[in-house]
Amino acid sequence: METETSSFETSEMLSTFLASTPLLSESWRLCNISNTSTPRGFLTEQIGDVGYIAFSGIQTVGNSEPSCRNLVPLMESDGNALFIPLHRLNEGEEPVMVHAGLLQLFLSMHSSTSFQNQMLALMEKSKPIVITGHSLGGTVATLCTLWLLSYFQSVSSPLQVLCITFGSPMLGNESLSKAVLRERWGGNFCNVVSKHDIMPRMLFAPEASFTQLHFLLQYWHLSMNCPRFGMLAQLHDEDKAELFRLVLCHLEVIAQAGEEVAKSLFWPLGSYLFCSEEGAICVDNAVSVIKMMHLLLMTGSPYSCVEDHLKYGDYVEKVSLQYLNQGSFMQADIPESSYESGVAISLQSLGIYSQEKVAKPVKDCLKTARRMGLRPNLNAAKLAVSLAKINPYRAQIEWYKASCDESDDHMGYYDCFKLRDNSKKGSKVNLNRHKLAAFWNNVIKMLDNNELPYDFNRRAKWVNTSQFYKLLVEPLDIAEYYRTGMHRVKGHYLKHGRERRYEIFDRWWRERKVSVDENNKRSKLASLTQDSCFWARVEEAREWLDNIRSERDPRKLAFLWENIDAFEKYARKLVDNMEVSRDVLLKNSSYNLWVEEWSKLKSQPKKFSPQFPDYVNGEVIP
Amino acid sequence: MASLKVGENKEINTNLIQKACSLAVKAHSKSSQKSYILEKTRGSSYVIFSFPGYWSENDWYDGEPFGETKINLDLFPSLKSIGVDEHAKVNKAFLQRFVDKISRNRDFRNEVEKAKNEKKQIVFTGHSTGGSVATLATIWFLEKYWRSDASTASPLCLTFGCPLTGNHIFSHALRREKWAPYFIHFVMRYDIVPQILLAPISSIKHEFQPILQFLNPKSTRASTNTPSEASNFYTNVMKNASSVASHAACKLMGNTNLVLETMTNFIALSPYKPFGTFVFCTGNRKLVILSNPDAILQLLSYSSQLDNEAECPDVAQRRLQQHFGYGNELKDCFNKLDAVLLESLEKLPLSADSTTTSSDITTINVALKDLGLSTRARLCLCAARELEKRKIGNKNSIDLKKADILMKYLEDYKLSCWREGLGYYDAFKIQKSTEDFEANVKRLELAGIWDEIIEMLKRYDLPDAFEGEKEWIDLGTKYRRLVEPLDIANFYRHLKNDVSGPYTERGRPTRYRCTQRWLEHAQRLPAGSCGESCFWADVEELRIKTNSKEGLAPFKDKVLQLEEQAKKWINDKVLDKDVLSEDSTFVVWWKKQPESYKLASCIKDIEGFKITSV
Repeated sequence: METETSSFETSEMLSTFLASTPLLSESWRLCNISNTSTPRGFLTEQIGDVGYIAFSGIQTVGNSEPSCRNLVPLMESDGNALFIPLHRLNEGEEPVMVHAGLLQLFLSMHSSTSFQNQMLALMEKSKPIVITGHSLGGTVATLCTLWLLSYFQSVSSPLQVLCITFGSPMLGNESLSKAVLRERWGGNFCNVVSKHDIMPRMLFAPEASFTQLHFLLQYWHLSMNCPRFGMLAQLHDEDKAELFRLVLCHLEVIAQAGEEVAKSLFWPLGSYLFCSEEGAICVDNAVSVIKMMHLLLMTGSPYSCVEDHLKYGDYVEKVSLQYLNQGSFMQADIPESSYESGVAISLQSLGIYSQEKVAKPVKDCLKTARRMGLRPNLNAAKLAVSLAKINPYRAQIEWYKASCDESDDHMGYYDCFKLRDNSKKGSKVNLNRHKLAAFWNNVIKMLDNNELPYDFNRRAKWVNTSQFYKLLVEPLDIAEYYRTGMHRVKGHYLKHGRERRYEIFDRWWRERKVSVDENNKRSKLASLTQDSCFWARVEEAREWLDNIRSERDPRKLAFLWENIDAFEKYARKLVDNMEVSRDVLLKNSSYNLWVEEWSKLKSQPKKFSPQFPDYVNGEVIP
Repeated sequence: MASLKVGENKEINTNLIQKACSLAVKAHSKSSQKSYILEKTRGSSYVIFSFPGYWSENDWYDGEPFGETKINLDLFPSLKSIGVDEHAKVNKAFLQRFVDKISRNRDFRNEVEKAKNEKKQIVFTGHSTGGSVATLATIWFLEKYWRSDASTASPLCLTFGCPLTGNHIFSHALRREKWAPYFIHFVMRYDIVPQILLAPISSIKHEFQPILQFLNPKSTRASTNTPSEASNFYTNVMKNASSVASHAACKLMGNTNLVLETMTNFIALSPYKPFGTFVFCTGNRKLVILSNPDAILQLLSYSSQLDNEAECPDVAQRRLQQHFGYGNELKDCFNKLDAVLLESLEKLPLSADSTTTSSDITTINVALKDLGLSTRARLCLCAARELEKRKIGNKNSIDLKKADILMKYLEDYKLSCWREGLGYYDAFKIQKSTEDFEANVKRLELAGIWDEIIEMLKRYDLPDAFEGEKEWIDLGTKYRRLVEPLDIANFYRHLKNDVSGPYTERGRPTRYRCTQRWLEHAQRLPAGSCGESCFWADVEELRIKTNSKEGLAPFKDKVLQLEEQAKKWINDKVLDKDVLSEDSTFVVWWKKQPESYKLASCIKDIEGFKITSV
């Protein structure tokens, strides 16, 4: 059913929407002022509810030029812990890297008191904040936004941030872009890139010569300050041609590598608004963005790729006035399908409708971007269906738990499952356990790959179901772990055996929205033990208890003693709060047997070393 | 006598329209004391009420960026979305105007009553904001008379150059109640008034009052020159209209870019949405008629776009003057009727230069061209059509699931439990036999299907009429009565009350809340009156509460109330007698109560209920 909605190409419509709001033109206006009046700095302004901070495009990047080789891991350079959410990593992923010079630029600005004060003032007054900048200023704005988003997350602030950059160079690697998506921040970055501007594409070419770059920046900076000044530092035509060729050539290699390999050190982040004389379109798929950067530059020239960096004012004005006109379509041959005509409008907005050589691959880019955009919702819908199908397996495990908990051997489902024979019942449950694990692992995998909607882990349905699954089934995973002796091979479950999915579900549950207070006192035992790792703790405590009998070294003995004591207190608290299910307290459950053994041991005073009088006088389980 | 076809089966006499139009304008110029004028012609089958407009900023925007407020449900009980329980929003100033001057006006109410008793069709009409008052009067009439008395003649609302009045739920509710066809709005292509409320007051603060001054027929204008503010006013309104329309179009077309969500935190988008049938006058004696609210919103924004920028000042002037051109324009149009019904929106040519041989498509194309619709605009209309189609598709796919929703298994389960002497609530709660387990699996399956339906409802992904469909209301009621007790049993079996609090307040799934509200709305019962499916939850909670030291005493009122209700529900046959079986949770608890209490209880009188003393 969702495929039908996809019969439209919407990147042009989105740009129409963005351009009809005051945000684009106000941002540019402030960038422009900042370029002329606050070089190497920034300015702030309040317009209605919205606070703006604009970084000047005139910035000096440390002692080195914006060379591509200069990437540093963000985690190591983040001494003040400004970007903590970006430090989290998936296994096997490259660390988040950013351009050293640009990071330094932001960090030094961030540490100034004037910046701190103005930011504070802005946050106090404004509900939403727009952070913007032209050229290098845009990359500083991006870092500033990442910092604010991290900060807002840490203090659970509801404030909203939007970053709008104009012709800014790339900031970091693919891991950065992925981390941003994972934090669901992708929608907070909108990068305006004109058709031919070489600046946003510059860092794709690692070998761009420093001297050329130096002159280029100088020319741009002077022109931003005042268009006439640009004359003072014109670049040689040969240098422009060389730069153009170099960047185009590198982009081509990267663009053709496509989705399989990320050959580039740098990677797009957020949405890109590509604009031309005819209009604009907005795309968010990174691979499509790189390809479009390449294809559009192909239609440019050494001259336009330099000049376009200074033309954002014209472009912004042009798209902001689009709403007044019908946007007449000159071509008579409008395709009959609604999707194809949407594509035709997009191509026309980029001014490449009749440029066959570029138009065709751009069409493919738009198609890919659209397909990738639709996937999350489709996937979520499919998952809901498969969840409904898998639910009966869970119900069977519930049923199993109930029948074990009531059976005559008084063991409870944990011990029943752990000590099960080859009966049909036990293996059926084991099979169900595997099926459920496969389902949830798949969910996690899709989430890691950003194949699910951005708010998936906040949807009550999924938070609750995963929690219920965890509480019911994790004890069986633990039972299986100890049943098969994995703890002797790999070490204890808690440290070495716990599946990643459970840790993720823990986090979802912790971060869920809790309505009012939920500290109701339980009147009866919980139906499922509220700590799904309870049995793993029991297993460890059992081992300690075994060790304590044979241990002679008083230091080690003390250590064991402490551990056992801590566990005992912990378990007692759970039981007192009725947060355990009845199976825990059954006569022959591992826990109950442990408690009995432990109290027996404690009642043998000769075992106690006088060094630990506390424990001698300690409470004894009744 | 010519008539204008405004829908599949709906035609309106053109004389009536013209008469209404002239009365609507006349209402303005009458002395300002009159809050409405009434036109009765001896022997005619209708009466016309027409309402004047108002011309100060506060008559349009009363607080809030867009001047909207929650609707008054006492006057307009149907203007909400039922399942999701969201109230419609309406322009506060218009609502206030209607409440103060019309609904509390005894003369008005008497005249309406009289016309109704004479079985005459009542026509409500208004020009400009007068149209909004006419709209509210019509809905008020529909709620008060039409809903309860099917013999009443259906009303008609005709507006001319009327601003938008309500939000998307307003529009949704009117379509659900099948009232939308009674509203016909005439809009001239360049008239700016219908678009004004798409802009927040902050964006037109400086220009609005002078413009209103100019528009006000009562004001003594120094000259007929367009005020200098016109051009600014016009561009600001258009820009905001474009924001609303392009945002809506992105949604219609299924754009998934996250920037779209972020942006809505930065700019305020107008909540207003069209409803009813719109008749656009192209300006060259043609009429384009459509009733899809999403398509109308797009048309409002696109039809006023220019062919090229240079026209701007001229158009600003034309737009203001067009607001008073309805009488003449309609006269011209009706002289030689040329109306195109865009109802189905099928066969929409995407290009103005479409070279088709089909005459239908050529007619439509000419009409779209007359409204100045570019390919972009036409795509938006297609998207509106696709959305409507998708909603119908969703409906069809859940209709197919009706077979799965047949609760045969659970009905049999209930019967077999009953035969074994224990109600199915208690049997399920004990979960002893495989049948109980199977019933639980069935319960989960059904919950999956219903949750999916509810999700669609929440996203407004089903046709507006869905919540008014008898078959689904009945199915929902049957489901709720049969299956909710199992959910309650499961809830208390797993002691979820300890974690989340009582079932009814904290644990009740939306699928039951929704279906209960469907029934209550359909039968016009007070909210919360159909709680029979929650009977067991009430029992469980009282059982827990009366277990304390104080016993029954502090909760006596509640217990009495529950018993009264139970008795009524059993008599009405909405609650089955198996709740009274010998060993049911309810009876066991009841029997434990003091003898004196039991003798006075109303429960003991229920037929088939035996008190065997303990």
